[in-house]
Amino acid sequence: MTVVPAQQTGGGGGSSGLYDVLELVLDRGLVIDAFVRVSLVGIEILKIDVRVVVASVDTYLRFAEACNRLDLEAGPRKSPGLPEIVGEVTESGARGKSKGALSGAADTISDAFKQAREGGSERETESRPRTRKSTAARRKEEQE
Amino acid sequence: MSTYVYGITAASHPSLPEGMGGVGDPSRPVRILREGDLAAVVSDAPEGLRPKRRELLAHQNVLSEIGAAGCVLPMRFGSVAPDDDSVTGVLAERAEHYLERLHALDDRVEYNVKANHVEDAVLHHVMAGNPEIRALAEANRQSGGGSYEDKIRLGEMVAAAVKAKESEDGAALEHALEGAADAVSVGPESTGWLANVSYLVKRETAEEFLAAVEQVRADMPHLEVRLNGPLPPYSFVEPGPAEPAGTAAGGTDAEMG
Repeated sequence: MTVVPAQQTGGGGGSSGLYDVLELVLDRGLVIDAFVRVSLVGIEILKIDVRVVVASVDTYLRFAEACNRLDLEAGPRKSPGLPEIVGEVTESGARGKSKGALSGAADTISDAFKQAREGGSERETESRPRTRKSTAARRKEEQE
Repeated sequence: MSTYVYGITAASHPSLPEGMGGVGDPSRPVRILREGDLAAVVSDAPEGLRPKRRELLAHQNVLSEIGAAGCVLPMRFGSVAPDDDSVTGVLAERAEHYLERLHALDDRVEYNVKANHVEDAVLHHVMAGNPEIRALAEANRQSGGGSYEDKIRLGEMVAAAVKAKESEDGAALEHALEGAADAVSVGPESTGWLANVSYLVKRETAEEFLAAVEQVRADMPHLEVRLNGPLPPYSFVEPGPAEPAGTAAGGTDAEMG
């Protein structure tokens, strides 16, 4: 482990790299049935939230807008132009709903971590249940 | 006092991080429990331990430290034994199995690769390759954005095309890197990424693997490829595919529904 730096994230921000690793810490690794696991309730919710359903009206509208904006003559940009576009859409649209799956997930994660950091204070959790419920409901629909 | 377990390693491991700060606030010092040829890296388990960011990082940092100097079987975050004796009991009981895993994973590390589309680049691909979408987008633009129904119709077609492209690119990426790795473990699907794949790589061939990743980045510029590693072999502790943590998530889901 001396040859290579501990973290090689290409292009991505530090926080996404951190989440990418924490996902492994939470989800993989050895499980021994003789031991108990601490409650991961907050984190399980986080995982459900990450699986936002792509096939939604919000997504369709977002894509349609993006296509209208897209200048085909310019050719595909080689440098990641994603933050720009997502940023615009997030700012102009209704916050939360019309966000890209990507930035939505990132927000959810940072929210959940923030929530966890603050020891689950009521103030923080109050704004969450609706999102959770709607996501859970959507998930349910998806399964049916 | 219950015991928090970070990982299992060989008793002959040259440099175990005894005394390093582990989980909890304040950090509980890391201790080593030895049993035969095995050692467990543990600390006291703090009361009310929760999956906070700092705890997850503490878990990962202890394992990184062990992994830097030798092989370790990393525990999933949050594994707590009733006491030290039950930890050594498990080591004694399953010694053969753990020694076999340590041997199989010796000198190997995990690299996790996640990839997303660069959105406007993939939209370009989709529009360039699909005349119908292009025509509809043009019609919408001409009419000042199009009606709600037009937008939905366009968006639906684009979403389907993007999804197909995601599967295609995910498979291409997985395939492009598997040759440079010893083993592959595909992580859970999510809309957060189009590929989430862990590769088990021999330390001595890590350079080749990293070169393969660079090649993928060069060949597929419309992907944002995130590489994390070297990591302890989280995804390879058990032979065969890693079991998903689906039961707990399902329970939470039901509770909320």
